[in-house]
Amino acid sequence: MLKGKSLRLGAGISVAIVIFLVGFMGAFKVRALSKVSDDTQPSMFRPDIITFDNMAAFGKLEKTKAIFLHDQHTDALDKKNKDCTACHKTENGRMSQKFMRLKDVTREELTKIYCDNCTQCHTEMMASGEKAGPVKCDECHKERPLIQSSRVPMGFDKSLHFRHYRAQKNKCDRCHHEYDQKNQKLFYAKGKEGTCRYCHKEKPGKDDTEKVISMRFASHLACIDCHQKTRAQHMDAGPLRCAGCHDQKEQRKIEKIDHVPRIKRGQPDNVIIKTGDKKGKEPRMMRVPFDHKAHEEYNDTCRVCHLASLKACNSCHPLTTVNNGKDISLETAFHKLEHKSSCMGCHESKKEDKNCAGCHAFIEKTRNQESSTCLRCHMVPLPERTGVLSTSKAAKMARMMPQIWQETFGSIYKITVPKKVIIKNLVNLYEPVEFPHRKIFNTLVKQANTSKLAQYFHYNETTLCIGCHHNTPSAGKPPRCENCHAKPFDKNYLLRPGIRASYHQQCIGCHQIMGIDKYLSCTACHKERKQKIAKIE
Amino acid sequence: MSISRRKFLGWVGAAGLSTTLRRPAHAATSKHFKGYPDSFGVLHDMELCVGCRKCEEACNRVNNLPPPDKPFDDLSVLDKERRTTPKAFTIVNRYTTSKNTIYRKIQCNHCLEPACASACFVKAYTKTKEGAVIYDESVCVGCRLCMIACPFGIPTYEYEKALEPRIRKSTLCYPRIIKGLLPGCVEVCPMEALTFGKRKDLIKIARERIRRYPDRYVDHIYGEHEMGGTAYLYLSGVPFKELGMREDLGVTPAPELTAAALGAVPMVIGLWPILLTGIYAITKRNKKIAMLEKKAAIADALEKAGEEARLKLSEVLAKDDKDKERAIDEAVKAALEDAAKN
Repeated sequence: MLKGKSLRLGAGISVAIVIFLVGFMGAFKVRALSKVSDDTQPSMFRPDIITFDNMAAFGKLEKTKAIFLHDQHTDALDKKNKDCTACHKTENGRMSQKFMRLKDVTREELTKIYCDNCTQCHTEMMASGEKAGPVKCDECHKERPLIQSSRVPMGFDKSLHFRHYRAQKNKCDRCHHEYDQKNQKLFYAKGKEGTCRYCHKEKPGKDDTEKVISMRFASHLACIDCHQKTRAQHMDAGPLRCAGCHDQKEQRKIEKIDHVPRIKRGQPDNVIIKTGDKKGKEPRMMRVPFDHKAHEEYNDTCRVCHLASLKACNSCHPLTTVNNGKDISLETAFHKLEHKSSCMGCHESKKEDKNCAGCHAFIEKTRNQESSTCLRCHMVPLPERTGVLSTSKAAKMARMMPQIWQETFGSIYKITVPKKVIIKNLVNLYEPVEFPHRKIFNTLVKQANTSKLAQYFHYNETTLCIGCHHNTPSAGKPPRCENCHAKPFDKNYLLRPGIRASYHQQCIGCHQIMGIDKYLSCTACHKERKQKIAKIE
Repeated sequence: MSISRRKFLGWVGAAGLSTTLRRPAHAATSKHFKGYPDSFGVLHDMELCVGCRKCEEACNRVNNLPPPDKPFDDLSVLDKERRTTPKAFTIVNRYTTSKNTIYRKIQCNHCLEPACASACFVKAYTKTKEGAVIYDESVCVGCRLCMIACPFGIPTYEYEKALEPRIRKSTLCYPRIIKGLLPGCVEVCPMEALTFGKRKDLIKIARERIRRYPDRYVDHIYGEHEMGGTAYLYLSGVPFKELGMREDLGVTPAPELTAAALGAVPMVIGLWPILLTGIYAITKRNKKIAMLEKKAAIADALEKAGEEARLKLSEVLAKDDKDKERAIDEAVKAALEDAAKN
C-alpha cells in the first residue's frame, strides 16, 4: 500500500502525462486531418475520366470504383499503331462501347474481363520496358482518387450541324432515323428529322440494351464510329479522343460558321399562333403573328423552343391542364417568365444584358403587365391591309407582319429632351450636378436600336423615358424626380426613398449594373464644395 | 475526513431533489418578449451600401468621438476586416463574396432582449421602449461580462482607463431619436442603405423588397428572429455567413437561455444551508448518541466481567483453601496413623 504522499505524487504525474498526451495527440489529429483534406485536393483535372461502375448492377461494391483515363489509353495505343479494336469489338458494322465484349455478362465473368485484360496488357508493356498502368488491385481501385473530372457536356448547335450536313453532302439519313416498333427496325423518315435527344434521353432505359439507348451511348456509338470510319478513309473528321469534344479549351477551337444557311425541313416563315383547339373552334384571344424565320436566326438550336418535338406548340401543350395535371398548359408555355423556352421568359432573360439591365433590373419581375404591352403580341388585325389573293384572317395577319416591323424600326424619337439638367436642390457638401440628360438619352436610344427586341417593345417614343421616370404614365414631359421623392422615411410611403437617395440609388445603381465604372465615385458627378455647410446639428 | 459512499450519495440526492421544488421563474424571460410595440429600428440594406464610410464620420461627429487614426475618406481601411473600437461605435467592412463585393455596417444590434443587459449585475444597461439599448457608465464596475455575453462581439472596453471603467457602443443616438431626429448614420447615408422607422414597419419594407426583387435578395431578414430579434435588421444578396454574420445563433433570446439556471439560485441559497445543516446536525447527534450508548455498554460489560472474575477468584481461592485444609488434614491423619503404628 503506497503511503499518502507518494500516492499523491504518482497521481499528479499521471494526470500531467494524460493531459500532455491528449493535447499533443489532439494537435496531431488536427494536423493529420488537414493533411487528409490536402490530400483530397485534386491534383489533376481531366475530361476523359471513365468510372467503371458496371459492377454496381450486381449489388454492393467490394472495392471502390476504378478510374480509367480513356484518352491516355487512346494515345498510348496510337503510339503502338493500334486502334480502337484493341479493346472494342465490332457488331453490325458498329463498334461496341463495352470493353472486350458485346453483351453484358455475369459478375464473375465481368470481373475477369476487366482485371485479366487490363493487367495482361500492362504486364506485357512492363515486360517490354515501357511505362504501364497498374497491375495491383488498389492501384486501380484507389481509396481517394486525386483526379477530378473536367468534362463539359457536348452538344450540336446550328453551326456544327451545318458542317456535318455539308460533309454528308446533304444526306440526312446518315444520322437521322425513326424506329419502327412493329418490325423493330430503324428507318429514315424524310421531313421528320429532329434532334437525337427527342428519343435518346439523358438517363437510359432499364438497361442500355432496351429499345431506346441513352444519349451518351447513342452519341458515342454514332459519332465516334462515323469519325473513325471517315478517318480511315483519310478524310478530315471530328475528334476521336474524349478531350476533343469534352474539354473546354478544345470546344472553343471548334470552327464556328457565322451565318448558317437555313436548312429546309418544311418549317414556316411566319406563323399565326392562335388558341383555337383542333376541332376548329373559334380562337379565344387575339392571334399572335410570329416571325419564325427571324427567331431561327436568334437561337443556336431549335431545342431552345422545341423542347420535345418540332411540331407546333399546341400539339403538346393543351389549353387546359385540369384533367391531366402533368402537362404544361399553353399559357404557361408562352408566358412563364422564369423559363427561357417561353416567349416571355426568353425576352425577359434578354433584359439581363448589360445594355438593358440599367433600367430593367429595377423593374420588378412580379409586376402586372399593362394591356398595351400584351397588345404588342396579341395584335388587333388591321382591316385595311387585306390582300387580293386571300381573304382569310390568317393570311391577312401574315402579310401585315412585315409591315408592322417597318413601322417600329428606325429612329422614331422626335421628342426633345433637355440637354442638361442642373440638380441643385441638395447643394451642401458638393456642388450642383450637371446632368447630361440628352447625351445619356441618345446613348440609350442608340443601344436600344441595336436590338430588334428592344426596338419592337420600345414602340412608343416615350417608352424609354419610363426607365428613369418610373411609376408614371409615359409622357413627353414626365415629372421631375423631386415631384414625388421628398423627405426620406415618410410613413405614408414606406418604400419610397427620399430625394437624395433616389438620385443615388437610380444613378449609381444603373452605373453599377451597366458596368460604367467611370461614374462610381462621389466627385465624378459633383465636385466638392469649398465651403461645406454642416448638415447635422 | 472520511465519509461513506452511502452518506455522500444521500447528501447529494437531497440537495439535488430540493432544487426541483420550485415554481417556474415567471420572469419576463420565460415568455417570449416581442419588443415594445412602437420601438424603432434600422433596416440595413446591404445591396445598397457602397462603403463610402459617411456613416462612420457622422457617428464620430454626433457622439463627439476622438478623431480617427486614418481619415474617413480613406477607403484603404476597408482592405482589412475591422471591429468596433472605443473610438468607433460603428464601422463598415468590405466582403468579397461569390456574387459581388458587399459592404456591411457593423454596430450594436440593439437586441429586443439584450444579452449584455442580462449579464450585467449592476444594471448598467437598459432596453428603452424606443428600442435603443443604452448604457450608464456611472455604475459600471468594469467586469466586462457584457463583452463575453454579446453574441455579436460588439461592446468595447477602454482598457487604458482601468479605474474609470467604460464600455463603448452604439446608443442608436437615443438623445436624438427621443427628440424626433434621425440617428447620425441614418441621416447622412447618401444611398439610404439605412432606413429608420418602427421595427414592425421595417419588417414590412424588407419583405416587400424581397418580394419585388427575388433575384436580388436572399429570402431572409437577418435580425428578425435571431437571438430573439434585434432592432437592426439586415438584407443581403448573398448568404449571410459569407459576410461574417453568424447563422448559428438560434431564435432564443440570451436571457431566456440562463433563466432556468438563475431561477434556481434563490432556492439554492435559501434552502441548501438549512437543509444540509439540518441533515448534518441530525447525523452528528445520532453519532453522539451511538457513541454514548457504546460507552455505557462497554462499562456495563466491564463491570460484569469484573464481578465474574472476582467471583471466580474467590471460588478458586476457597477451593484452594479447602484443598489445603484437606491436604493438611490428610497429612495430619497420615502422621497420626504413622505415629499410631509406631
